[in-house]
Amino acid sequence: MHDRIFEIGAEGVDTEALVARIRARVADKTERGAYTDAAVARAERTNLAALRDDDEFMGFYLDCLRDAAFVDIGDFEILERRRTLAPLLVALKRLIWKLLKFYTYRLWSQQNQINGMLVTAVEAMETRYGERLRRLEARLNTAAPGDGNAPGHDA
Amino acid sequence: MTPESATANHAAGADGTARRLAFVCPRFAEGPTVGGAETLMRALAVRAARRGRDVTFFTTCARNHFTWENVLPEGERRSEGVRVRYFRVDAHRDVGAFLKVQDAISRGRLVSRAEEDLWLRNSVNSAALCEALRRDADRFDRIIAGPYLFGLVEAVSRIAPGRTLLAPCLHDEPFAYLASIREMFARVRGCLFNSDPERGLACRLQARPAAARDAVVGLGLDDFASDPRAFASRRGLAAPYIVYAGRREPLKGTPLLVDYLAAFRTRTRRDVKLVLTGSGPVDLPDALRPHVIDAGFVSERDKHDIMAGAAAFVHPSLNESLGIVILEAWLARTAALVRAASPVLRHQCRASNGGLWFRHYPDFEEMLVALLEDEALRRALAGAGRRYVLERYAWPAVEKRLLDALDA
Repeated sequence: MHDRIFEIGAEGVDTEALVARIRARVADKTERGAYTDAAVARAERTNLAALRDDDEFMGFYLDCLRDAAFVDIGDFEILERRRTLAPLLVALKRLIWKLLKFYTYRLWSQQNQINGMLVTAVEAMETRYGERLRRLEARLNTAAPGDGNAPGHDA
Repeated sequence: MTPESATANHAAGADGTARRLAFVCPRFAEGPTVGGAETLMRALAVRAARRGRDVTFFTTCARNHFTWENVLPEGERRSEGVRVRYFRVDAHRDVGAFLKVQDAISRGRLVSRAEEDLWLRNSVNSAALCEALRRDADRFDRIIAGPYLFGLVEAVSRIAPGRTLLAPCLHDEPFAYLASIREMFARVRGCLFNSDPERGLACRLQARPAAARDAVVGLGLDDFASDPRAFASRRGLAAPYIVYAGRREPLKGTPLLVDYLAAFRTRTRRDVKLVLTGSGPVDLPDALRPHVIDAGFVSERDKHDIMAGAAAFVHPSLNESLGIVILEAWLARTAALVRAASPVLRHQCRASNGGLWFRHYPDFEEMLVALLEDEALRRALAGAGRRYVLERYAWPAVEKRLLDALDA
């Protein structure tokens, strides 16, 4: 059950406050890794173009990307839900996994390497261009009106 | 600025009332296949006529906004007190050249002035319409033309700029940054905007002069009755549903809505349906198909019933100058859920307290869960939205803003 996130006051609902409260809740859940699954990544495909103006979301998206970039190639527990012949089926699955692992390990480790490099490159670009933009904005803000050095000023 | 626009004040009558009006729009809104801009232009023309103004509507014989084929007969007809004059779209458009430049502009590439001219020349134009308007221009106290993104409107803005009011329906898109568009905004007498954020955008992009006779007018709505149980009982629908009404296309954000609903159903395991009204194809994953109800074109009454029964009206579009369907949803007593990246829709929700705005899927999930679980929240948002529409977008209020703007 969802916690109640607002109270209706005598003046009705304040959407600004409500959205702020929901965003705080989302930030908290993001911190706890609640949105790093594939369903969210898939859902965000079409939202990416709108993200360029949202610094906060770019940070969130990079976090998700970092979490999702690396394919888990480690061993995992192999289970069988069917009761009949369960030990035999588990043994068969283990054998298949061992054979597959031999061939796929190289492939997945290369994929992980590529994913890791891509994430690092995107993060580096974000940091670098973000910093450059901040410096430019600071320069613009400090430039006096009519200052011939201000970017975009026509002579 | 042309000499005419600098000096003329063609407020016609001795009392300063602009009595004779020409409206220009590439299509005249008849039937269901038109967009919001056409609906707006027609509604403003009809309302001005009802308030005693002499209104002529100049439009083309086209109905389809992809082919611009001349399908309606040329000539003159009357519609709700408005004299409507139909002219043929120019046949010699070089669609290939137009699309090539349009594509370059859409991708944010800088285009030369020659390319801009080529793009405008091969956009939707009607030499016959411009000629007729030029001939009769002196008859009109005001020419109201829109939306901004057509060669025809740009050409019309040159005929009598000092008397022309642009109803731009402006969006923050690459086309709005073109030099020829900026010049059109500078040339005309003033603008009729749909919302404060649209006006703000025009000030930012087009450097509107302080003296410009700009006004925020918008579109009026009449209140209506709706039955929140009608659609669900007719369809045997027990699960809650969200609704979107309008064109289905990437620019309107419908693919995003489909993706979000799929993720929402998977993650929360809640059986929530999506009801779509309007036109256009929608690409659905197989697993989602049984949970999306495509109602297609429905009557206004049915649309309002569908809205009234929904848990929320979701508007996933970014580029809007006024979210008319959101206003309708509020009148139907339904809360709205919109994208934060749309300045206009966010403004509408914030100003009215009638809806919430999401930045991304996590916000959407939290907000939709809150709306599904909290009936009091839904009622409070919808009630605030409804009060806002009745106060600001009832026709008497809009008509006053329109007539004030025309006479200014």
